[in-house]
Amino acid sequence: MNKAAKKIGRRHFLKLLAGAYAYATLGSPGLAGAQITRYGKLADTTRCIGCKRCMSACKRWNKLEVERNELVSDRETDLSAQNWVVVNLRADAKNLTQRIYEHWACQHCIEPACAGVCPVKAITKLPMGNVVINEKKCIGCRYCYQACPYKVPRFDFEKRVTRKCHLCYDRIPLLNYMKPACVEACPVEALSFGYKHEMILEAKKRVYKTKNARYILGLKEAGGTDMLTILPTKPEDLGLIVAPKKVVNHNIDKLRVTGAGFMGASALAGFMYTYATLTRGKEKKNRDNSD
Amino acid sequence: MERSPAFYTWVSILVVVIGLALYAILMSLIYSLEVFEFSIHVIWVTMVSNYVFLVVSSTGLCIVTSLGHVFGMQRYELIGRRGVFLAFITIIFGMISIGAHLGHPERAMIFNLLTPNFYSAMWWMGTLYTFYIVFIAIEYWLLARPELIERSDQAQGPLEIIYSHMAFRQLDHSRLGAVLKNHKLLQFVSAAALIAGLSAHNTLGALFGHVEARPLWHGSYYPVYFLLSASFCGYSWLLAVSIATYKIKKENIPEDYQSLIFEMAQVLALLLSIGLLFTAYKMGFGLFTPEKVKPIMLFLKGPFSQAFWLFEIAIGTVLPIPILMWAAKQKNIMGVLIASVMVLVGVYVMRYDFVVAAQVYPVIKNSLPSYLPTFMEVLFIGGVLGALFLTYVLGEKFLPLKEERHH
Repeated sequence: MNKAAKKIGRRHFLKLLAGAYAYATLGSPGLAGAQITRYGKLADTTRCIGCKRCMSACKRWNKLEVERNELVSDRETDLSAQNWVVVNLRADAKNLTQRIYEHWACQHCIEPACAGVCPVKAITKLPMGNVVINEKKCIGCRYCYQACPYKVPRFDFEKRVTRKCHLCYDRIPLLNYMKPACVEACPVEALSFGYKHEMILEAKKRVYKTKNARYILGLKEAGGTDMLTILPTKPEDLGLIVAPKKVVNHNIDKLRVTGAGFMGASALAGFMYTYATLTRGKEKKNRDNSD
Repeated sequence: MERSPAFYTWVSILVVVIGLALYAILMSLIYSLEVFEFSIHVIWVTMVSNYVFLVVSSTGLCIVTSLGHVFGMQRYELIGRRGVFLAFITIIFGMISIGAHLGHPERAMIFNLLTPNFYSAMWWMGTLYTFYIVFIAIEYWLLARPELIERSDQAQGPLEIIYSHMAFRQLDHSRLGAVLKNHKLLQFVSAAALIAGLSAHNTLGALFGHVEARPLWHGSYYPVYFLLSASFCGYSWLLAVSIATYKIKKENIPEDYQSLIFEMAQVLALLLSIGLLFTAYKMGFGLFTPEKVKPIMLFLKGPFSQAFWLFEIAIGTVLPIPILMWAAKQKNIMGVLIASVMVLVGVYVMRYDFVVAAQVYPVIKNSLPSYLPTFMEVLFIGGVLGALFLTYVLGEKFLPLKEERHH
């Protein structure tokens, strides 16, 4: 014990501390490093029984309105300003006997396109992983809906803001690290919540062990998302929106598009100048005639 | 005309239309924004397309008028005042249109300043258009000031006071007053308005071009095409409005103005031909790009095909080209007027299709959401366009919009 205590002396400890601090501020690859402290949600469609308790728990916690018959099992529901989590029955297009209940909500992208386009920074990616809309700041432009590859943020026509699942950011750190309402409510453990790297491992383990589970949605889609979904087949066969396997609305792509526009604007100014120069003679002739 | 029953009938119709729009806005405030453009999937519709149409027109008008004040083409100075005034009112009513679309326009103004997102094209667009509005307003004031001074000299009573205040006559004998008379200042402000306008317009195109999730919008095509369409929009507005104004007032168009109109008609025909090439490129290129095929097919064969072939291609581009060429050759003013109005109608439909069609695809479960404007929405759009025309009519009556003459 004494030997071990001698090994990490005060100086060594300070050095380590300084090194870690420098690494965190200067050299850390922000998002990859954050993965260790980031949370993730895992939805296993092969376990889901379609009871919709997650939907009801979400509505209760977030004080959302309930429509008539909305929570009846097998009833098709769409995401809306009052429906942040939905459970729908989906059939595999290639094998119609294969049916699953798909738990669908905001995917909490690692690099969210919605936050990138919001003009007033009303959408933030928290260090915990949640993508949260500040409803007191949202201007109601709906640009986030257009940019989202999954079309998740929905406009609330009453409150005039866009709303969506925030992965219960108001439960996780404040209420003794409670799980999100939907995860807590699931009776068959189809939903899990924990550190992101643990969720990835868990998902891979299930795909390896379970016969039905074959695809993990969210590992690469939209540059990786903090919500993972285990599917029995590819998302396109289940009629889900297929996001590209790269970061959506990357800043370099934005720069390319804007740059092309500026080149176009410069070309237009060039044409205008040429038009003015070429017809200068005509103008002079007109002036001479009028004199 | 100005004291005729027809004038008062027109003004009363416009006032009624504006009243109905105000009623629609009131309803949206009392109940919810649902009375306007209610759709879960197609979330940007008529108000956005109306906004795009009006701000594109404004930039176009700024481009055309800057040929005179920035690039030194004196004959284009004839349309300077009218063009700049139109550019100012179209951007203002465009902003009103988008203001009614936004959930919280008041927050937009506050948080645009407090927490800007420099990666968002929408932030740049809002900011640059604010600069543009300021510059274009100063440009119009500088253009109108000499005549406002003249009018205040000639007028008596309250009109004299109003005109002299509008012209800031207290500056007359100051050093600033001398600077205001300098043509270089006008040139500088016009150049600033042009730069702000082009940049803002570019970011408007980029706003759509950045959206990777909408294959029809995504890419560098729209920022560039928007500039071209702005140019032909600007030409069409100026031709249509100035010819219509002279015809309604039953005044003769001066000879130099006429020759400018025919020259502008030729340039418009050329721009429309280039626009046609751009459209052909978009469609052709889209058919060979896997993710763009489905949205492009919505135009070629799908629910938007009628609007595309009839309005965008036939009425908006193909038919006006020979009409403009013929009218410029035959010196037929009515031909130019008809063709430019056709272009404006085509462009309006084009904007609507462009905004709506992109949102129809892709959607969940391969079903196409449809959209039909609500009654209140139609009232609002009618009111915005009505107010635009009423402002122009009042401007024509009370402000100096006629051609500039260099003595």
